[in-house]
Amino acid sequence: MGWAWLILLLATYPWLLGADLASDTLASSSLVFFITGTCLIAPCRRLKRWQAVLFAACLGFLFEARRPIPDGALALCLVAMAIFLSSNRPLMRNTPGMLRVAAIVNVGACLIWFVASSYASPAAAGDLAWHLSLQLLLAGVVGTTGLLPVALTQNAVMDRLNVPPAPDRP
Amino acid sequence: MDQNLQGARASYVALSVFVALWILAPSAVRRFNREAFVEFQAPALHLLGKSRDLATFWEKKSRSVEEMVAAGRDLARVNAALEIQVNKFEDIRRENVRLREITHYNVPAEYMSVVARVAARDSSSWWQRIVIRKGRKDGIRPGAPVVFGNTVVGRVTAVHLTTSEVDLVTSPGFRCTAYLEGDDQNHIVLVNGVASNSLGAAKARVSVIPRDYSLLAGGQPTRVFTTGMGGVFPSRLILGYLDGGTYATQVGNFKESLLVPSRDLYNLQEVSVLVPLHQNPGEALMQGEDFQ
Repeated sequence: MGWAWLILLLATYPWLLGADLASDTLASSSLVFFITGTCLIAPCRRLKRWQAVLFAACLGFLFEARRPIPDGALALCLVAMAIFLSSNRPLMRNTPGMLRVAAIVNVGACLIWFVASSYASPAAAGDLAWHLSLQLLLAGVVGTTGLLPVALTQNAVMDRLNVPPAPDRP
Repeated sequence: MDQNLQGARASYVALSVFVALWILAPSAVRRFNREAFVEFQAPALHLLGKSRDLATFWEKKSRSVEEMVAAGRDLARVNAALEIQVNKFEDIRRENVRLREITHYNVPAEYMSVVARVAARDSSSWWQRIVIRKGRKDGIRPGAPVVFGNTVVGRVTAVHLTTSEVDLVTSPGFRCTAYLEGDDQNHIVLVNGVASNSLGAAKARVSVIPRDYSLLAGGQPTRVFTTGMGGVFPSRLILGYLDGGTYATQVGNFKESLLVPSRDLYNLQEVSVLVPLHQNPGEALMQGEDFQ
């Protein structure tokens, strides 16, 4: 189904909103509950490559829209990740593999977002290594723990849309 | 060659071409794209804010009638006291206008106050922002000051159809001139947000404090007020308090200190946006393409 990626995006959006709400409660600590990378894993296992690319781009643009970071910085990096993941599906064949990939992708995307933000911000980057480490650690933990509920929702939607189960080859 | 590998390579090449096109594309295209995704999310933010309001409503509705009667009685007393003050200030305003006319003094900027509920708070090391549930449709413009009572909250940085983004006082993009309490000579100091690098509350930096300035006696917190210069913020609004002491800068000609906002900016439920009735030059600058 051609529009599966869009329906999947709408189904994933409540999770993104939930992450925003969690970030809202963490606002005084300046930490962001980053979950965007994790949302990419399950669709990259089952969707066709072009669908995964569109899904990743929209995911990135949704995150960027309300934040002062250079346009497309995160979205295009997520697209590159989506191409890689959908071309190397054996990496996500089992649950431990998926969890590992989710942590790596979420931390990687978080790092890209943090660096892109520094480019757009007038503030100096000095002394932020400690904060960056905390942010990446949080992204890693959230990426791993958040994968199962997010992937369950996404798989349920893909089952309803008759998207074929994860093949070894795209 | 493996078909999967070929497809991946073709995708990477297509992505590279798209990145090049994206960089070369006019900024209007990128702005349209950003605006489209903001508007897509706006209904969800409104829904979120309204659900919070509904929760508060039911929480208040569960209170006893006696409590409500007592609150109403207290409010009526406060209203009566405020009414007397309003009349007093109206007399002072008339006198002020008369004196300004006599001395041909510049008329200060006039503002239209738009009350807005806070929909979401968003902060990282690089920015501290809130999203409010009023936008272009309600007359809000970029650069408008945002206050709560007589306290400065921040400044509107981006306006969408039904939502706006507000840079808080502690956000690195925020800059403003100020006076310090107890400084009889009214030296102008600078207030600007700093990147947050700890888990503690975000603060701003107060710089260009004269060397001979000394803090208030008795350990009272020193208040920092807006100057009203530049036409963005009205004068004598509270920006916050000086945090602890002052310290000399590296050059040593001035002193610096940190500013603690006078309210917890991350717990605000409602703010007022002071939209200037006439566009000021600073506001016109903020509407440039690079501003976001």
